[in-house]
Amino acid sequence: MARYGMLINTKKCIGCYACRVACQRQNDLLPTQDFIRYEEHETGTYPNVSIETVPLQCMHCEDAPCVAVCPTGAAYIGADGIVGVDEGRCIGCKYCMAACPYQVRVHNEKTGTVDKCRFCTVSAETSGTKMCSCVEACLTNARIFGDLDDPESDISKAIAETNAQPIAGDLTKSKVFYVR
Amino acid sequence: MSENAITRRSFLAGSAGAVALTAAAGFMSFDAWEQAHADDASGGGETKTVHTLCNACSSKCGFTAYVVNGRLTKLIGDADHPYAKGKICARGFGYSQIAYSEDRLTDPLKKNDQGKFEAISWDQAYSEIADKVKAIIDDKGPQALAMVQDPRPSGKYYTKRFMNALGSANVYTHGAACNLSKESGMTQAIGTGSYSSDVANAKMTMFIGRSYADAIRPSSVAALQKAHEKGSHIVLVDPRCSNSRVFADEWVPINPGTDLALVLAMSNVLVARGLYDKEFVAANTVGFDEWARALAEYPPEWAEKVTGIPATTISRLAVEFAEAAPAASIEPSWRGAFGCSYANSGETARAICLFNTLLGCWNQKGGALFTPSVSAGKLADERFADPKKPEDKLLGSAEYPLALSSMGTNLFAAEQAKEGNVKGMFFYNSNMAAGYSNTAYLADALSNLDLCVVVDVQMSETAMLADYVLPDTSYLERLELPEFIGGKVPAVALRDQVLEKIHPNTKPVDEIFAELAEACGVGEYFRFGVDELADAQLQTVGLSLDTLKQTGTAHFPEKEFAYGTAPKFKTPTEKVQFTSEACEKAGLSPYPVWVEPATMPMGDELRLVGGKQAIHSHTQTANIEDLMQITKDYDLTRVWLNADVAKRLGIEDGDEVEVSNTQHTGRVRAKVTQRMNPTALYMPSHYGCSSPDQHTAFDVGLRQMDFVPFHLEPAYGGAMTQEAVVTVKKVGA
Amino acid sequence: MSFEPIWGAIIAWYLFLAGLGGGAFITSAFLGWRHPEAVNMHKVGHLIAPIVVIIGLCLLMFDAEGGLHNPLRFALLLTNFGSVMTWGVVFLGGFTIVAIVVVVLDFLKKSVPVWLDIVGVVFSVCVAVYTGALLGVCKTFPLWNNALLPILFLVSAVSAGAASVLLVAVIRHADEFNRVGVLKKFHFCLPIIELVLVASLMFITSFNSVAGWNSVMSLLVGQYAPLFWIGLVLIGLVLPTALETWLLFFSPKEFEESRKAHWISFGSDAGVLVGGFLLRFLVVVAALPVTITVPMM
Repeated sequence: MARYGMLINTKKCIGCYACRVACQRQNDLLPTQDFIRYEEHETGTYPNVSIETVPLQCMHCEDAPCVAVCPTGAAYIGADGIVGVDEGRCIGCKYCMAACPYQVRVHNEKTGTVDKCRFCTVSAETSGTKMCSCVEACLTNARIFGDLDDPESDISKAIAETNAQPIAGDLTKSKVFYVR
Repeated sequence: MSENAITRRSFLAGSAGAVALTAAAGFMSFDAWEQAHADDASGGGETKTVHTLCNACSSKCGFTAYVVNGRLTKLIGDADHPYAKGKICARGFGYSQIAYSEDRLTDPLKKNDQGKFEAISWDQAYSEIADKVKAIIDDKGPQALAMVQDPRPSGKYYTKRFMNALGSANVYTHGAACNLSKESGMTQAIGTGSYSSDVANAKMTMFIGRSYADAIRPSSVAALQKAHEKGSHIVLVDPRCSNSRVFADEWVPINPGTDLALVLAMSNVLVARGLYDKEFVAANTVGFDEWARALAEYPPEWAEKVTGIPATTISRLAVEFAEAAPAASIEPSWRGAFGCSYANSGETARAICLFNTLLGCWNQKGGALFTPSVSAGKLADERFADPKKPEDKLLGSAEYPLALSSMGTNLFAAEQAKEGNVKGMFFYNSNMAAGYSNTAYLADALSNLDLCVVVDVQMSETAMLADYVLPDTSYLERLELPEFIGGKVPAVALRDQVLEKIHPNTKPVDEIFAELAEACGVGEYFRFGVDELADAQLQTVGLSLDTLKQTGTAHFPEKEFAYGTAPKFKTPTEKVQFTSEACEKAGLSPYPVWVEPATMPMGDELRLVGGKQAIHSHTQTANIEDLMQITKDYDLTRVWLNADVAKRLGIEDGDEVEVSNTQHTGRVRAKVTQRMNPTALYMPSHYGCSSPDQHTAFDVGLRQMDFVPFHLEPAYGGAMTQEAVVTVKKVGA
Repeated sequence: MSFEPIWGAIIAWYLFLAGLGGGAFITSAFLGWRHPEAVNMHKVGHLIAPIVVIIGLCLLMFDAEGGLHNPLRFALLLTNFGSVMTWGVVFLGGFTIVAIVVVVLDFLKKSVPVWLDIVGVVFSVCVAVYTGALLGVCKTFPLWNNALLPILFLVSAVSAGAASVLLVAVIRHADEFNRVGVLKKFHFCLPIIELVLVASLMFITSFNSVAGWNSVMSLLVGQYAPLFWIGLVLIGLVLPTALETWLLFFSPKEFEESRKAHWISFGSDAGVLVGGFLLRFLVVVAALPVTITVPMM
């Protein structure tokens, strides 16, 4: 069984928001449902300035706090390790949103339920593209998706090569790795 | 509409291999098509893929639209399209929702005596507009009519044909508020309005006011990234540290409006130290000695005082350019800093071409290239014959002689409207009233017309001023004429119809102008369908409409660009012109010299500069919910203020500030940042929509053009959109 | 992107009312033990308990829109016993049943068995502690993620519960009100303990992390400072303590039993209730999430 993960190289990120809107369009989300959010930093002083944009989304934690606190079992970890939301079980108590330290779970104002990055398990079924929408859309190929357990996968090799790390150390067992 | 249909069922039933193949090829095989139609009888969802072109900006990138049960779902950039390279940007994804916007115009509208719009029939609209057109022509002649349009594949053809059929030469693009000065200035130096910097293969490229990462064309971003990863020296010259900083080696925070001084000083260094390509200059140019003498006045020490860039930096950059030459250039930009911004924009463009000439980089690998393009040949069918060429010249061509006649100075037309010389104006895909120059002036000018007709998809500020508003289909609901694209390998691409018409009483641009022409009595020039013309144009280049629908993009590899010798320049002298007679005749110096900006900030004033954010195109996308939500989430309407200046003014990050000048006063929050030149204030160019019918965009943020005086750049006719100064203070302080 | 609180006033009301219900039941039990003669106040506490808890539960269901649109989904609340919220549902359910049974017994003028009172008190404590633990397990928010919060909410719950019973007693059962001295003395102590706990929470959270510091600052000097200082500290904690100190220790006995003094007590108890709600509200909305990314230098 594959153990899916993602690598995001912020050194390649130009902060263009294409991944966010691609994700919304390809997954038919509301404008307010941003499965990807961004933290932006500028460092240095004028005129020697550097900028960095860090896209954040569900880290598909192996010890997902959202799953631990969800009272109805709507938040779950699937067989492939992807953290999912069973909308039919979600009462919209937003406890998972409070528990997720990455603040990447989003309230759907129409259904009242909570949703988040699915590693595009949904769109893969309907439109012939197996890759995550954000990965596909990224203009600078800053993202790699793949099987973390396969040492030959692009992502495993890239993580080894770049020493990519989870964004917040061992806050949770994250499966999204960052090059910064 | 292309019939690349397949049912959901057959789609899912297909083997993984077939699915992968389909995705790779981007369209369905005939077998799949046949199977799909066989399945249709049994019901079930239908998935269709159509190649088309985006309309979120002028790049018009190719993508494949997935349509499930008649509704647009996925968009995948076409790998074959030279600008898309398999990607589309945030605007491309978001703007697709214009088709489903609740703020779409659905019926022809007429402004009644109370100034309110009421729906009328197309017939009534056509006949009333035609009556007024005829009255204007009878009274003042066809030159009292003018058209302003932001070119799109069908729009640019039909609008021009319509006006020429009426006998008017007054067809303007949005250019005066975009890249008119740049294209016109470059034409004076090198005989053509632009060139391509071979960024990906360059050892050094300087961008002046242009940010590939903020005004995105995917292929350009890819080239910049490739250059960066190969260790190319990328220099950003910009009062604002743009998002391109990620792939740049240095940010040169120039005082806005002084780019010309930088280019003159770098040229001074090359000439004074003998670091220029003497062989190339001797063989391919005229007037070098005169310019060289004039350059003596512009040493880096002089430019330091003007630009705020240390003389040592200017000298270093010039020397680095010389070392990198000929695999180096100043990138041509688009609107950026000198498309239409200052009193010296045209001359800046001219100087940049001359600087590149000193590098000897024309058509050299990594340098500045003139890439080939292909266009449709002569059409045999007489129905497509051009109307008689109008007798008069485009209005403004005498007053602004350097302005390219292919663009014209639309602001001059507005000025003539205000003065009563132009009586009727048409607008297609153009929001002049909100985006081209001072909004109060333009509202006044357009209100003075006997006839103002706007063709658009939503109630723009310009449409609000119109007598008649005609509802266009969205770009996803129509076939357009083929779009020919210049490049290393020239190509042609097609905007095909993706969706069935959503609002039955809307019409595509080709129909609107054909039917309007019919009503005006010049229908004989429009007795063909857009599909017929598209096919005829494609036949002249060995293609057909059907074949292009299958692939979306087709290339002309036989015309591929080859590096090598200098081209034949299309100037009157067929050489690079360090001196231009036309410029001299227009009252400018024959060779570029320093020209002060028209306005300089004094005391506490800051120059107001605009610029794109990656999620918006001018005012066109602000009403798209997907995109405007990003603006709201990240507070992107904020004006950018240098941190030291902010401290002096007692302004903290996120504070509400009042921005004011003689034209306008408004409130907005401030972003206090190290990424800004201290003499300028950046205001994003997308906000401040004043059309209440655009429910998402209305009243969000400030509008740059409210603060910009109405004025035109001498000789070139640009809008001088950054010749405005403002003061800023904290609200309540 | 500025952070928007995940929960707002509705959840604050729910947390407050759940605690208040538990506190009222505990107050009743205490009255039954130390002031068996205060029969009516005893019943008042019993009556307040289920009513406010049920109102709170309704608010919770109203806030959980996904369930509001599909009520059957609330049945799934008992599926994850790893979740504090699931335990909360158990405690609230158990408490509500016991509280209703007790009200019915009171109504039928039957005595409440001691064991049932004990069960009810245990549930009450669980409910009050749960409201703190619900927030406390969220690592995201340093203001919540500490062991003080459940204790603080428990103390506040008992204080608010007692205040609610005393408040009703002032209006309806003034004679009994004069005779429940032990309750009043306990009640007097609670805001003082709370004050110490709030101060400790602020102190510890501000040292915990940047987000903790910013949360505390938003309460002490930032956007929530007026509510915090005037609403919670002054009206909710200091004023009741000051008024009760004077009434209990410095005023003459005759005055203490006068109607005037009753209304002063009424004011002090109302202040405790205001403070009880504001405590939850401020803790819910002022919490800022931990920093996920820091600039790379």
